[in-house]
Amino acid sequence: MFSVRFWGDRGSIPCPGPATVKFGGNTSCLEIRADDRLVIVDLGTGVKPLGDWLMGNDFKKGPLDADIFITHTHWDHIMGFPMFTPIFIPGTKLRIRGPVSYEDDSLESIIGAQLSYRYWPVRQSELAATIEYAQLKETILDLGKGLIVKTKYLNHPILCLGYRFEYEGKSIITAYDNEPFRNVFPTDPQDPGYDEDAAKEGELAAREENEKILRFYQGADVLIHDTQYTQKEYEGGKIGWGHSSFEHAINSAHKAGVKKLVLFHHDPNRTDDQLEELEKGYQRRIRGKTAMEIMMAREGLRVEA
Amino acid sequence: MIDNAEKKIDAYIKNMPSLPTTVAKVLEVCNNPRTSPADLNHVISLDPVLVGRVLKLINSAYYGLGQQVTSLVRAIIMLGINTVKNLALSSAVLRNLSSRKDFQALDMEGFWRHSLCVGVAAKVLAKHRGIDSKLTEEYFTAGLLHDIGKIPLNAVLSKEYVMAISVSDRERISLHRAEGQILGIDHTKSGAMIASAWKLEGAVGDAIAHHHAYMEYEGPFKDILFSVVLANRFASIMGIGFSGNRYPEKLDNAVWEFLKLDRSIFDEIEQVVNQEIEKAKVFLRVE
Repeated sequence: MFSVRFWGDRGSIPCPGPATVKFGGNTSCLEIRADDRLVIVDLGTGVKPLGDWLMGNDFKKGPLDADIFITHTHWDHIMGFPMFTPIFIPGTKLRIRGPVSYEDDSLESIIGAQLSYRYWPVRQSELAATIEYAQLKETILDLGKGLIVKTKYLNHPILCLGYRFEYEGKSIITAYDNEPFRNVFPTDPQDPGYDEDAAKEGELAAREENEKILRFYQGADVLIHDTQYTQKEYEGGKIGWGHSSFEHAINSAHKAGVKKLVLFHHDPNRTDDQLEELEKGYQRRIRGKTAMEIMMAREGLRVEA
Repeated sequence: MIDNAEKKIDAYIKNMPSLPTTVAKVLEVCNNPRTSPADLNHVISLDPVLVGRVLKLINSAYYGLGQQVTSLVRAIIMLGINTVKNLALSSAVLRNLSSRKDFQALDMEGFWRHSLCVGVAAKVLAKHRGIDSKLTEEYFTAGLLHDIGKIPLNAVLSKEYVMAISVSDRERISLHRAEGQILGIDHTKSGAMIASAWKLEGAVGDAIAHHHAYMEYEGPFKDILFSVVLANRFASIMGIGFSGNRYPEKLDNAVWEFLKLDRSIFDEIEQVVNQEIEKAKVFLRVE
């Protein structure tokens, strides 16, 4: 059994309220199960209900042992950590891994600093769980018992990793937060900053980096992709913000032969009605053109690889 | 021969400051939140040490990338403008503390201009020969950094370096030979140490390490190496900038033959090279 369940799918900030009941208002948190192994991706506010659920289920079988992968350290991806109940339970073992920009503090101090008196009534040193932190780069990790994770840098204003989990020939991939690489150098010869070589090298570099990301998705059974914007919204002032459009995610997933694409990291202002309409609209648009299945992430959704 | 010369140089390289010529401009560009990638590329690419540091970072074990990145443009696209800005800022501030006093024997402005001239000329030569413009950036980087090994010699062994320069002048021998005699190490060797510390393997590292012993070179980057050698010659004949070597050795004919060029090329490219350097000077307000 190899599956992913969504506990938080919202981008930027939690947004509870009557307009987000169906898809949920919690920020990023995924529960991946490879038979009896537990992997958590991101510690957004969705990790609070996940922790509560684990307390009532996994803990019956003994202490919790889990691998946690952080895609990047932006607030919405780490802010649920202080309310993840298992950290207060003796015997819990957590290995937290993620990327950190070179100019920044260690992963432990970025995530752990949320547990200091100025933000929270419990300090990190008071936690009962055993927690190991490790900084990740582009690499392949063998998590044991046939579970492997490969990582790939994505394009976001801070160092951010995509994860490709592979188990028994199946794959579940995360690709958020991510914007397609683009040439950031002027290509118009009339532009005062124009430089022919930089323009050409920029085009080439962006194309090659995007191709690398496509190869990273290649043949995925499940791809969870950043789709914060529609293409129109993206082009209307969101370029460079580090997120993708539905159109980009669908096109690149189709090109890479992905089987199931989960649209993820919903804009905080997007209502249930809008998300439903968008989901139906995109499903209609691809009907008959691809064998790929697409679905909008929602809290509680479970997808098998 | 100086005791512990290599050890001292090694310690210096580990915390090597950048050239202060561009500091003010780097600070201005990097502190401005509206700075464009083109501005950033422009200001950094004019400074050999900053280029080296950015490439060093992206090629370091820190990122664990499978492939060697040798162009600043790609580094900006991959790392993002903020990371590159922060890197440039921090190294600009760091170097500002120490580097003027590091330039004792060599004139800093002259060194900077020489480096820029060799970089620009290597790139112009490559373009002239029809080298794909996607590859010419590496010719520029290799030329810009070729003499970087002089910085630690000048900073760590400054008294002896003054002596090496005067021996080179008096005996009319190339500076790298005088360096070898007086210091027991020349700038291609210290440059190779920097290249290794900064992980500048490939064409850039080879140009740094072999630009005086180019006839013995058997590696795969002969085209770039020989272009840098010729550009170096161009800089010295045209008297653009000065990096301490008044008596460079005669250029082997093999360089002309290999690059399929003749001496008239110097006159042909002089104007373009000067224009490029002028543009850089205006941008950096170097007087």
